[in-house]
Amino acid sequence: MTHEDLAAGAVVAGGTGEPMIICEGVEKWFDDFQALKGIDLVVGTQEVVVVIGPSGSGKSTLIRCINRLEEHDRGRIIVDGVEMGDDIRNIQEIRREVGMVFQQFNLFPHLTVLDNVTLAVRRVRKKPKAEADELAMEMLTRVQIPEQAAKYPGQLSGGQQQRVAIARALAMQPKVMLFDEPTSALDPEMIKEVLDVMKELAVSGMTMIVVTHEMGFAKEVADRVMFMADGEVVEVGTPQHFFESPEEDRTKLFLTQIL
Amino acid sequence: MQTDERLPQLTAVEKPRWYRDVRVLRVIIQVVIVGGVVAIAAFFIGNMIANMQRLGISLGLDYLTQPAEFTIPGSDFERTGTRLEAVLVGVGNTFRIAIAGIFFATILGVLLGIARLSKNWLVSTGARLYVEFFRNIPVLVIIIFAYLVVFLEPRIFPRFENAREIGPFIIYVRGVFFPWYESQANFFPWVVIMLAGVVAGVFVSRWRERVSEKTGASALSLLWGLGTFLAFAVIGFFALGGPASLTIPGFEGQVVVGGIRVSPEYAALLISLVIYTASHIAEITRGSIQAVSKGQQEAATALALSSAQRIRYVILPQAFRVAIPPLANQYLNLTKNSSLAVAIAYYEVTKVTTDIIGNGGPAPQSFLVLMIIYLIISLIIAALSNVVNRRLALVER
Amino acid sequence: MTTTAKPPVRTTGPLKWLNDNVFRTWWDGIVTVVAGGLLLWLLGSFLSWVFTSAEWDIVRVNLVTFMVGRFPREELWRVGVALLILAFAGGLLLGMSLRLKPRVTALEALRTFAVRAWPVAILVVLLLILASSLSALVLVAGATLAFIIGRGGGYRLPQSRTRLGMVVGLLSPFAFVAVIAGFGGVGWNLWGGLLLTMLLAVGGIALSFPFGVMLALGRRSTLPAARWLSITYIEVIRGVPLITLLFMGFVMLTLFLPAGVSAPSLVIRGIVVLTIFTAAYVAEIVRGGLQSVPNGQVEAAHALGMSPIQTTFNIVLPQALTAVIPALVGQFISLFKDTSLVAIVGLLELLGVAQAITQQPAFAGQGLLLETLLFASLIFWVGSFTMSRESQRLEKRLGVGER
Repeated sequence: MTHEDLAAGAVVAGGTGEPMIICEGVEKWFDDFQALKGIDLVVGTQEVVVVIGPSGSGKSTLIRCINRLEEHDRGRIIVDGVEMGDDIRNIQEIRREVGMVFQQFNLFPHLTVLDNVTLAVRRVRKKPKAEADELAMEMLTRVQIPEQAAKYPGQLSGGQQQRVAIARALAMQPKVMLFDEPTSALDPEMIKEVLDVMKELAVSGMTMIVVTHEMGFAKEVADRVMFMADGEVVEVGTPQHFFESPEEDRTKLFLTQIL
Repeated sequence: MQTDERLPQLTAVEKPRWYRDVRVLRVIIQVVIVGGVVAIAAFFIGNMIANMQRLGISLGLDYLTQPAEFTIPGSDFERTGTRLEAVLVGVGNTFRIAIAGIFFATILGVLLGIARLSKNWLVSTGARLYVEFFRNIPVLVIIIFAYLVVFLEPRIFPRFENAREIGPFIIYVRGVFFPWYESQANFFPWVVIMLAGVVAGVFVSRWRERVSEKTGASALSLLWGLGTFLAFAVIGFFALGGPASLTIPGFEGQVVVGGIRVSPEYAALLISLVIYTASHIAEITRGSIQAVSKGQQEAATALALSSAQRIRYVILPQAFRVAIPPLANQYLNLTKNSSLAVAIAYYEVTKVTTDIIGNGGPAPQSFLVLMIIYLIISLIIAALSNVVNRRLALVER
Repeated sequence: MTTTAKPPVRTTGPLKWLNDNVFRTWWDGIVTVVAGGLLLWLLGSFLSWVFTSAEWDIVRVNLVTFMVGRFPREELWRVGVALLILAFAGGLLLGMSLRLKPRVTALEALRTFAVRAWPVAILVVLLLILASSLSALVLVAGATLAFIIGRGGGYRLPQSRTRLGMVVGLLSPFAFVAVIAGFGGVGWNLWGGLLLTMLLAVGGIALSFPFGVMLALGRRSTLPAARWLSITYIEVIRGVPLITLLFMGFVMLTLFLPAGVSAPSLVIRGIVVLTIFTAAYVAEIVRGGLQSVPNGQVEAAHALGMSPIQTTFNIVLPQALTAVIPALVGQFISLFKDTSLVAIVGLLELLGVAQAITQQPAFAGQGLLLETLLFASLIFWVGSFTMSRESQRLEKRLGVGER
């Protein structure tokens, strides 16, 4: 803990206890609309935080601020000791260490699966092709689709594409993985394969922030569950606390609507 | 098995009456359509043949072997050359304009399209003004303007007595004279060496790509390839004792000697077509870059690819694919617009054809030949575009 | 804890805007200075030329010629009346289209007009200044009044009378032509200038439309004969430049007619060639629209027992055509600009006038082509720019197109 204010709304770090991501009083406006109203959050190394909430609550905005896809207006964001600001070096450094998986997969359609995974490894991490390919195949094996390496994204199913997207992010060997509703665009029968990959990832010790509606995943894997609404953190706690004895009324209301 | 008395007896399927049979009707309709079209065509063509015979106009293609009775300025074509040769000169000129036009228009258009997307307000607005201005006026107006107002303007292109010299350039009514090369001894061997340099350059770039793959360092393949080519060119030049010399245009009596001449007609047509087509290409470029979805950009950004890397590896490949059909269309338009050279007497194939007709050639055949030539050009461009499209097509299920 | 705080006070204002848009980095700053200097110099030289060394008399004197060519001046009242009819009909259609929207004050309507049609307004003012004549002012005032009356009438038109309003609106071009050319009026051959340009463009697109739809349907037909004939026509016409077709039409037409039949006038030839040309392009546009109609529509219609012809005209075509309205407008704009090509074969439309008047005895040999061409370009530009802006707005409203 670094701040008195942090202690008030902030949350007990899980995982190993070493803070990996620190958000202090993060505020964000879109014109006159305030999307984040002062978020305080500390995510510990190897901790898995699941963020839930109704649409428009700011959960996507928050994680997009962490890798600077959105710029926060007030407050501080610190990832693995590097502060996120206007310094382009810091931004690039943080982006290298933070992997992101999108709702719409966003695979590059003109590159093969293998090239999708190795592009950034070769151009950003500057690894030789042979090494990058090997690393890519390792990741593809980890997400259970090594045999698709030579195919193009258009030839794969949604679940397969999302797993490639996960492999692509993992190949950069990030310290943190951010997931922005990774299963919301998938047909029901493919959600499980992606969640299984994410579970394996969590168990292996990756620090993860997952925005999702999949409560089963939250119950099984999360170290903490965070409920956001209207740009604020309403309630945080362990899955047990959260699902069995939520405190806030808004949390209770939301849970009745989705469970 | 007992037959159930209550089931109705099924009658055999009747063949429908012929006038209601769908298959027969289809054939009848087609016969009517084709018959109608053939009848109309026969009427008009019959009239045409009758009139031509009445007026003593030759039928058939013999006219092509007869002398043309006009000269083509800017070439060696004489009055006594056959009309066929005149047409070929015209086709050559069409290609000269089309290829140069496509090349320059693409460069200018793509630069303008990128400028439109610049974050610098002045640059993007300037590009926007250019595009909005030239897209909305007829290309013929631009051509006439360029020729009659610029290139025939005595203050800009004076008569020979007052010819202007700007550095090594000479400008007067007959055009712009540039310094150019003149081949001396050993010119051909030098060309061969330069071609070898191109091949070597390609090999060197590929080699650099492989090195980059092995070590991860930047390839700079373009630089290396270019450098190799230049090395070949320069070393070859000196080794062969100067196979080409620079000729600078200069006055000798009443003529300009040396250098190369770009006629006002060609320059006016080229510049107009380039200016006009570039404004369309700029919009195509802008549209195709914007068509690459934001999610692609975000994914590339999240992977820590730099801005330049984003553009090179993710945005441009996808934008290029989208842009090919409309680009091919613009190239075709540019080629067709070159026919407006009739307004300024540049002797591309349409102008040659009108001159042939004006000098006694039969109109129907001449126009037929002209149309076939343009159709062949259209087919070539369409085929090339299809090939490129197919090779670059995104692979889908 | 639900307080809505204010956004942090960001520095706004001109300095910040400059910093963000124009002087982001030092390299950006250099580009800005260079580009800005270039633009200012260009604009400055152009404006100074326009207002000092250019000689605009030729335009001023020939203003009517630019508008109507060699139209007999004593019959000009017909054009005035026809314009009033068009203005009224235009206002009527506009008013009818706004019926479902709430009323706007005159000021708001004026503001909308200023935002959307400012080039037209500026051009009209410029023309009035150049004309410096009372009759021109009366004409413009009358047309504006007719438009406003039409708009008011259209807005108040009850829904039951919609069809009547549409008929009146769509018949107005015919009324326009009838007033000018009919009733002992002026035949097409004497039309010139902008009037002729509009006749060629509107006539061309109107006539080519049914023809193009037929070709598009033929191209998609399952009958090989229809399909091949359509494909041949479309590909051949689209593959050759317009000027070759114009030359063919003008030079060879007499050959195609039986001996003794007099050749149609130049204007008719022009319209015919432009129609033949445009039909092929309209066909391709409509074909795209036809392809965009989902197969399920046809299947549903057939399942209901509708014949192929009924299906096509009641179900497929309406959807297909609505989908391609912006592209059709784009084709009209192209045609509007392409009419300038008839100047090469001797018709005195807008561009032809611009070239011809430089040969007038009073102005010959003074190199005034620059001024006349600029004036003609201005008119072309205003028309084309306004129409394409409206088309883009329409596209957004219809929600048609990618994404």
